[in-house]
Amino acid sequence: MLTPRLARVAVPIIVGALALTACGSKKESSSGGSGTHIVKIGMIAPLTGSLSALGLGMKNSADLAINQANAAGKIKGWKIEFDPQDDTGDANTGGAAAAKLASDNQVAGVVGTLQSSIALQAAPQLNKQNIVMVSPANTNPSLTQGQNYLKTKSRPFASYFRVATTDLIQGAFAADYAYNTLHAKTVYLVNDKLVYGQGLNEAFGNEFKKKGGRVLATDFVTGGQKEFGSLVSKVKQAKPDLVYYGGQFPEGAPFSKQLTSAGVKAAFMGGDGLVDKSFVTTLGVQTANDYATNVGAAVEDLPAAADYVKAYKDAGYKDAFSAYGPNTYDATNTIINALAKVLPGKSSIDATVLKAVESAVQGTDFAGITGKVAFDQYGDTTNRIITMYKVEGGDFKKVVTGTFSG
Amino acid sequence: MIPMLQRALRIQHTWNLPLRTCQAMAAAAFVLEVVGTNLAWATYTGFPGLMSLSFYPAGARSYVLALSVALALVAVRFTRRRQAGIWASLASFALTLQTLIAISRDGGGLVNVSAGAWITLLGTILGIIAFVALPDDGAPLPSSWPRLPRVLDGLAVVAGIGAAMLLLVYGLSVDPANQFVGLVIALIGGLAALNRLGLFAWLGALYARQQGLSLALIGLAAISFPFTQNGESYWLRVGANVGVLAAAAIGLNVVVGLAGLLDLGYIAFFGVGAYVAALYGNAGLGPSRGHIPFLLIVPLGALVSGLIGVIIGAPTLRLRGDYLAIVTLGFGEIFRIVVNTYDGFTGGPNGLANIPDLAFGSFNFGLPHKVFGITLQGFANYYWAELVLIAIVVFVFSRLDRSRIGRAWVAIREDELAAAAMGINTVAYKLLAFGIGASVAGGSGTIQAHVATQVSPDSFVFMQSVLLLAAVVLGGMGTVPGALVGAAILYAVPEKLRAFSDYRLLIFGVLLILVMRFRPEGMIASKRRQREFHDTEASGSDALSAPPGFAGAVP
Amino acid sequence: MTQFFQQLSDGVVLGALYALIALGYTMVYGIVQLINFAHGEIFMVGAFGGYTIYHYLLPDNMPALVALPIVLVASMITSGVLAAIVERLAYRPLRNAPRLAPLITAIGVSIALQEMIRLFYPNADRGEPFPQLFPNGQVHFGGVSESYVNCFLVVLSVVLMLALRTFVLHSATGRAMRATAQDPDTARLMGINIDRIIVTTFVLGGLLAGAAGTLQGMVASPIDFQIGFIAGLKAFTAAVLGGIGNITGAVLGGFVLGIVEALATQYVPNGSALKDAFAFVVLILVLVFRPTGLLGESVRARA
Repeated sequence: MLTPRLARVAVPIIVGALALTACGSKKESSSGGSGTHIVKIGMIAPLTGSLSALGLGMKNSADLAINQANAAGKIKGWKIEFDPQDDTGDANTGGAAAAKLASDNQVAGVVGTLQSSIALQAAPQLNKQNIVMVSPANTNPSLTQGQNYLKTKSRPFASYFRVATTDLIQGAFAADYAYNTLHAKTVYLVNDKLVYGQGLNEAFGNEFKKKGGRVLATDFVTGGQKEFGSLVSKVKQAKPDLVYYGGQFPEGAPFSKQLTSAGVKAAFMGGDGLVDKSFVTTLGVQTANDYATNVGAAVEDLPAAADYVKAYKDAGYKDAFSAYGPNTYDATNTIINALAKVLPGKSSIDATVLKAVESAVQGTDFAGITGKVAFDQYGDTTNRIITMYKVEGGDFKKVVTGTFSG
Repeated sequence: MIPMLQRALRIQHTWNLPLRTCQAMAAAAFVLEVVGTNLAWATYTGFPGLMSLSFYPAGARSYVLALSVALALVAVRFTRRRQAGIWASLASFALTLQTLIAISRDGGGLVNVSAGAWITLLGTILGIIAFVALPDDGAPLPSSWPRLPRVLDGLAVVAGIGAAMLLLVYGLSVDPANQFVGLVIALIGGLAALNRLGLFAWLGALYARQQGLSLALIGLAAISFPFTQNGESYWLRVGANVGVLAAAAIGLNVVVGLAGLLDLGYIAFFGVGAYVAALYGNAGLGPSRGHIPFLLIVPLGALVSGLIGVIIGAPTLRLRGDYLAIVTLGFGEIFRIVVNTYDGFTGGPNGLANIPDLAFGSFNFGLPHKVFGITLQGFANYYWAELVLIAIVVFVFSRLDRSRIGRAWVAIREDELAAAAMGINTVAYKLLAFGIGASVAGGSGTIQAHVATQVSPDSFVFMQSVLLLAAVVLGGMGTVPGALVGAAILYAVPEKLRAFSDYRLLIFGVLLILVMRFRPEGMIASKRRQREFHDTEASGSDALSAPPGFAGAVP
Repeated sequence: MTQFFQQLSDGVVLGALYALIALGYTMVYGIVQLINFAHGEIFMVGAFGGYTIYHYLLPDNMPALVALPIVLVASMITSGVLAAIVERLAYRPLRNAPRLAPLITAIGVSIALQEMIRLFYPNADRGEPFPQLFPNGQVHFGGVSESYVNCFLVVLSVVLMLALRTFVLHSATGRAMRATAQDPDTARLMGINIDRIIVTTFVLGGLLAGAAGTLQGMVASPIDFQIGFIAGLKAFTAAVLGGIGNITGAVLGGFVLGIVEALATQYVPNGSALKDAFAFVVLILVLVFRPTGLLGESVRARA
């Protein structure tokens, strides 16, 4: 007799395995002619777990850029393969993902990460192998300007770049708008006590105070919090002109909604972490007074951006491109452009090629969908264009585009 | 579906074909499979395993071929090997079918599947029929394996451990998702078949006789692992991670497995160690507090962590069972929140980063080194450092386990009242377990800070405590090898699951449920616990040598 | 002083939500001594069950107050059925397993449920706005104001809790549940079908969690795949605070926890960041002085 116990282990595993292969990736039935070499662009982003909404938008945007480049035959004699790796939002998992990509001698560039803490584990490893890393989202200043960025700037990782504007500019731009255009005199700062939110809050607060405004208090939300009754009562008592929120939409949306339902009249403002369809749908039909800044010019002002939005939609991805999709698209194209300059005529990827890719990325200069893409000597983007949006009629409507000049 | 299959396989006497017929069928199946695997399976290039090439059985085809050869060997001693044959042929069928489906999905339709795959599939079906049709032959007979002379005994141990090591290294190197699933299917079928044949029971007895040699060889295999990685860093980095967490898991094992104190905030102690190392290890980014030599940091981290453990434990250890669990959970969360809130001291959400690699004199842990002409990436050094740590911890605990203290812990775990009545100072012993567990976590945390080069509060969330606990339970409570195996599985399997991209975490969750369902006492259960749980069943093969998931299934 | 009472009332709202979920924890624990970590996810799936009915089945122009009970019941049924399925498939086979095995299973179930919803429910990863089925507006009492929906939450929670209490104390099934909790072996000898009682307990806990799902959705829209995790953790804390296994204790624990968090947010420096830590500090202090929680009976040593 076949032991039932054994059968019970094996059968579900086999059935499950079969089911899984049924969800495998779709690929072209043939990999082109015999003269084509393969180069890989990796990605480190949260594809599962709590931050996956952002991560999957990043993954799809990079996938789109790579498919377009392959279709156009952008790199002569080479085909790009995409190798996205999950970090689950956990730094150690991301560190292992970086090790995996660094070990793969076909990988010539990595897009990511979402979180700065993960970049701090990934960048050193990729830098050792001279693999360029372009982040669409990191905002921790030390990644580009070194550990003592306040006193002496020195670049720690020659192969690390980012197309994300640091919090400094976004927060200051928002403060300028709030003080001079909305005529807000008092602000209540709230953040999620994470790198991005806290940085944004500080940048906003410093500039707002410099302008002559008053910061009433700083308070926090915790990750995953949805019920803000107590914090709302506290804000209500303080009667601010503006609530400036540093954080992402999953907490920001219910917080803003509950402020409005409790009768708080103050305007609500935040950074690019709020720019997601879900933020608008959550607010619903209530008369909201909500603003958010986003990096780059407005989509309607840039034909390239409109093309991206359309191409993304046509590609039929299951998830929205989310807050970091456009940045990721630009980051991926940065690497693709550098590869297109370096790879033709070469037959394999070695340290010299990778070094050449690195200097090609450093010399990047093209019109991306968030504006001009170029890097300064630290690897930071020189694109400082910010757009202020207001929530109106079920969407984000552009209010003003500009840059912060101090 | 499952009962249906079982019923189908239990059909015994109605089939009962003559032995000759069965053997002829099996031979035909073997020929078909050998021919099939040597033909192309796919009409197009690009599918992993060079499926479009004839006479080149790579990838999944090599697994089918290996299984069919094994099947042929089984068939030689046909009469008593029905179940082994069924397992092996079922696996090769599933494997072929899975690859066939994968090729057709990948290529965009069945037209992409070449004749070779169909021939092989036919062969595997014939193979199943051939073995099912046999009369039932009862339980496997371990005694049918020869008892070897002493010298050969040792060689067999070497061969067994060597084979396991090769299999591991090979398994780690298989990357494409389809092929990896194929390998898993082949392994399940192959190992189950070998188990049916009584191989593992035999090997278990062998290892028991040659314990010293076995341990030495396992140690040697662990030490030589970095040399198998072709100068690449990926699995070394994972190995380094597994090593740190395995050491911590052994510590948790003392608290949970031996003393029976459920700790749901254990990662906090690990975090304390990591933060001590970061604060006093010249972390570039964040509020550094200077530099202390690393060899002092490890005991310092362990000491601080242990002290905190005792301070927390003293007022709370009189709580029972799950009340203690939530208190430890609470302390774990308090640690994370406080570290995240007070930026000035800990760097807040930014954490501490740019922690330099360890360096002793001119030997820098982070740089690649050449040993015997083989380039080893930097993580190899950390991996070995952790082996040293694990060796120390294992040594101490195996002594503790068999000492008065270890027996006192077990007594407390089994019945606290009775233990107290026997004159055991339960509070003191519980505090000791808690403190030792905490200091082991702290010590391994100090290494983790250097491996990761960065510490931040989001690495010490509740889920991480839970994963460590799962490692202990999954591996087998109360045993040191259990904690090691559990940590390896819990932190290496998710890495293998990377091939499944978005579905990675879902599969991981389902695997947790399945493992607990079929092996609730853990992979390597302490013999005592296994007896408690399986007391109605005859004692099976030695748990140590059995493949995961099957040792308990011996009837 | 008004602000104090305002925070007190906000704390009660939050606490009512915790209490509803905590009841499921405490009942299951009382009967099978299992910390059902997947309970938070049962609550989350319940919220999605209610949302599904509203979004895909109910006509758009249905009056909100008619839709409300339908959505509520749909949530409750979803959670109840799911709880029964989880018990049957995941926990029952482990009834005699070592004590920690079902705990790990519960964690596996929790991860699997979260990921299933995230992967297969459209838009669950970024949040779906839950229908607002209660009129907007505020109740004012002195200087304290609460929205209508918050008041509804508290009232409905209390009604459900009283209903549960009556059921457990006065129905035959309730008696059987209590008997099973006290001594399963003797209960079995008395002719009680233990399996049926255990599954009933899971279902009851699920029903309450489902109700909490709809309420949370209305009070704190949107719902996403991870709302269960935090809520589950808090509810577990509340259950232990009150004395795990004790139904009144779970309710009390929930309210205490909610109020502590609200007051910490208002009055402690950095309170809004530290409020969760504060909740645990209170829990630990309570347990140090009352080792079995606020209302827990002293634990009998099980031989």
